[in-house]
Amino acid sequence: MELRPLNVSNTNDKYKTYELFIGPNHPGISGNFSYVLDMEGHKVANVTPDPGLLHRGFEKLMERRLWTQNLALIPRICVPEPDVNEVAYCMGVEHLAGIEIPKHAQYIRVIVLEMARIAAFLFSFAGLGGSTGLYTAPNWSIGDRDYILDLFEWLTGGRVYHIYQYPGGVKKDIPDGWLDKLLELLDYLESRLPEYDNLIFRNPILQKRTKGVGYLPAEKAIKNGITGPNLRASGIKWDIRKAQPYLVYDELNFDIPITGEGDAFARTLQRRLELEESIKILRQCANQIPDGPYKVKIPNPFQFRVPAGSYYSKVESSKGEFGYYIVSDGDVKPYRVYVRGPSYSVGLYYANEIMRGMRIEDVPVWIHTMDICPPDFDR
Amino acid sequence: MMFFLKLIQSIGVGALSISVGLLFMGIGRKITARIHRRYGPPAIQNFIDVFKLFSKNSISHGFAYDLGIIAGTSALLAAVVFLPVGQINLFPANSSLIMILYLMTMAYLGMAMGVSSSGNPNATIGISRALTMMMGYKVPFAAVIFSVYIFARTGSLTNIIAAQSGGLLNWNMIRLPFGFIAAEIALQGMLGEKPFDMAIAPAEIASGPMVEMSGKYLGFGMLQHAVGIFLETGIMVNLFMGGAPNVWIFVIKQFELFFIALLVNAILPRFRVEEGVSFMWKIPLLLGVIQALIVVL
Repeated sequence: MELRPLNVSNTNDKYKTYELFIGPNHPGISGNFSYVLDMEGHKVANVTPDPGLLHRGFEKLMERRLWTQNLALIPRICVPEPDVNEVAYCMGVEHLAGIEIPKHAQYIRVIVLEMARIAAFLFSFAGLGGSTGLYTAPNWSIGDRDYILDLFEWLTGGRVYHIYQYPGGVKKDIPDGWLDKLLELLDYLESRLPEYDNLIFRNPILQKRTKGVGYLPAEKAIKNGITGPNLRASGIKWDIRKAQPYLVYDELNFDIPITGEGDAFARTLQRRLELEESIKILRQCANQIPDGPYKVKIPNPFQFRVPAGSYYSKVESSKGEFGYYIVSDGDVKPYRVYVRGPSYSVGLYYANEIMRGMRIEDVPVWIHTMDICPPDFDR
Repeated sequence: MMFFLKLIQSIGVGALSISVGLLFMGIGRKITARIHRRYGPPAIQNFIDVFKLFSKNSISHGFAYDLGIIAGTSALLAAVVFLPVGQINLFPANSSLIMILYLMTMAYLGMAMGVSSSGNPNATIGISRALTMMMGYKVPFAAVIFSVYIFARTGSLTNIIAAQSGGLLNWNMIRLPFGFIAAEIALQGMLGEKPFDMAIAPAEIASGPMVEMSGKYLGFGMLQHAVGIFLETGIMVNLFMGGAPNVWIFVIKQFELFFIALLVNAILPRFRVEEGVSFMWKIPLLLGVIQALIVVL
């Protein structure tokens, strides 16, 4: 019998790697989605994203529903931040139909979008806390997010899915006293920020766990179509609210903070800094919202024919560029609607590249700091 | 007759350790909930959980799995019998700390055998992390025990307690402060509280060793954790806080230590496993060695 030379390792692939599932039933994944990891010891050798569990054929379903009926369907595409779907869709329909919405309604839309952004940022703090074991962070931030949901419930009747936007404006006007309550809530959230800073961002162990993890260089971010806070955390100052302003963002005074280190810590810190800017935007909106109608009348939904054409409308969501490509053939229903979710390129493609060689401890940290939302690519 | 009396007393101490451990876990959940700004479950929730789990059907993964999990719990229960608990000291001549520590290690090894035979890689990674971490905290703890042994000139817990009698100033906590701090950090690791809970990291390895446990097995796991809390805090009370004249004071002292562990647990995330071990081998080990040098010199 010939012995294997000492310097040649065992190359029997059957025992070299083992399979580990992150998802769909796993506390480390952010939704009904799965990464199948081939592990070598504690390191990821290969990763296979496994979507499909959330696929309900939303884009096809939209072709069979009236333009306004789709508004009850599309918020389900993103649970943490459903309002971006409604606003992007309405903006696209309005552009095609040539509808100009009143200033009052535009301010309401910005308020809803920014509230949803803060809620989604708080959700992402929860994700980081959950993936590193700092369980006080999720409990605090989900608790504070609930106060935002209370205000949403008062405004729209729904806590998570609001179905509040409508082509031509919004469904209801702001109730009396709601804006005062919003300002109170903003004061409260601002008073909580130092506590979050002490708990999360000044925490030495958390810094150790997140600094240098999942480093995303700026050129790779651009190449992979990564947008939003993840791109800004890599040092690129690009925000659709500033670059191509929509609604009334050009009338508001806010900054685009840049962290620039490109690692997991920078991405979370980027969200924390942007949360402060969103509070600033909401304060301005609450103080300078003009009086006026909250919608313009559109025809009966059965008669609401959008002129033929196509348009790509996009908004800046908490995760990046959220876009709707809408094609109309002049019928009462859309001809084709395509949804561009910000997690698509990062969750399905860039994951293959970045996760190789990553340690198992860093995988959930990477998933949650990239704020991957599986319905973005699987709907 | 004497044998049966000791047997019944041992069962009593085991039951006490389970009850106190489960109560601590319940109160711990409540306190953690308040830090989290939640109400939290009732303090007796862990008793309810254990009763519920033992009434459920369970899935076994073979003989080694059953044996490992039962061995893990019984090794800790055996260790508790030798622990002086207030006025209860069943084997005063045999309360050697080294023996208790051996039995504690056996509990981990039993658990390792059980969960590895389940065949789930998450469980195997979890238990390998637990054993690696054990290497981390046992070294500073051994340094501390060395100081205490040299200082008290005895290896028996009964005698160590006796050496601390005569008031607060005689406690090893005051007389061996560096050793106490080192042991307190090691206790955090022993209890499996953050930042040293990488063995059961849910977001990484789906709760690790517990991933394949269902029904009665999870019940045994919970009992093992309960007895572990009682035993580990109990050793600390005997080593550093002068033992206790009765069970009530003993449990209160144990709770003080557990309470500190809970507070640290609530505000820190978990280390990576090598970071945890390297921390243990740096700061607590250094403190333990300084203490040993002070005692020897």
